[in-house]
Amino acid sequence: MNTLVLASELSGRVVVTLGGEAVAQIKDVVFDGPAGRITGFTLSGRGLLAGPLKQSLRFSHVHAIGPSAVMIVSQSLFEDRDAVVGRGEAGRGRVLGAPVLTEEGTDIGTVADVVVETGSSGRVVGFEIAANDNLDPEHRKVFVPRGQSLAVSGEALVIPAQAQRFVADDLPSFAAQAEAFLTHMRQR
Amino acid sequence: MWWIWLVALVAAVALLAGAVVLVQARRRSGTVIAVNRGRAGRGGGR
Repeated sequence: MNTLVLASELSGRVVVTLGGEAVAQIKDVVFDGPAGRITGFTLSGRGLLAGPLKQSLRFSHVHAIGPSAVMIVSQSLFEDRDAVVGRGEAGRGRVLGAPVLTEEGTDIGTVADVVVETGSSGRVVGFEIAANDNLDPEHRKVFVPRGQSLAVSGEALVIPAQAQRFVADDLPSFAAQAEAFLTHMRQR
Repeated sequence: MWWIWLVALVAAVALLAGAVVLVQARRRSGTVIAVNRGRAGRGGGR
């Protein structure tokens, strides 16, 4: 499995061309809920007073996501912002803070972050959840794997009930739990 | 009393600069957005 990273950690990461030019920085991380993959990024300009750009970067145009920078071949790969996310979608789809429900209708907390596999897949592996009493009496932030049939929007995240049995306390141990959950779902 | 105008000018410039930096920091701050484009994933897409 590739390295796991929190989507919020990608925000602010510098976008650098293979020619060594820092051309932008990541603003929003956009992912396709049904497909469970990152589709692209919205961008901000560089510099203290630079605001959001009207351009975006498709994930398929990313050369590599490194710990310090997102590498691309050339700035010419930038596209119009709507190619990655429309204005309406951006308003409706903000998942951080959205309530998390199991498919049985139990509210178990709110979305704190999204766990992404780096490398070429951009796969969404799971979610960091700020747990409530129904999941963890100590109200810790825990990691739960993504379900097979996932419903996710700014309104709510719906996960399979079995996912609660594969909760992890930290990102390194979550990788094994996510694999165990996948194996469990395949065997059903 | 000319220095009062100088203090007022410096305060106004500082307020304006602070407001600009705050607005830009808010505009640049990122989030995670879910869209609904693809087919339903199977077992995490492997």
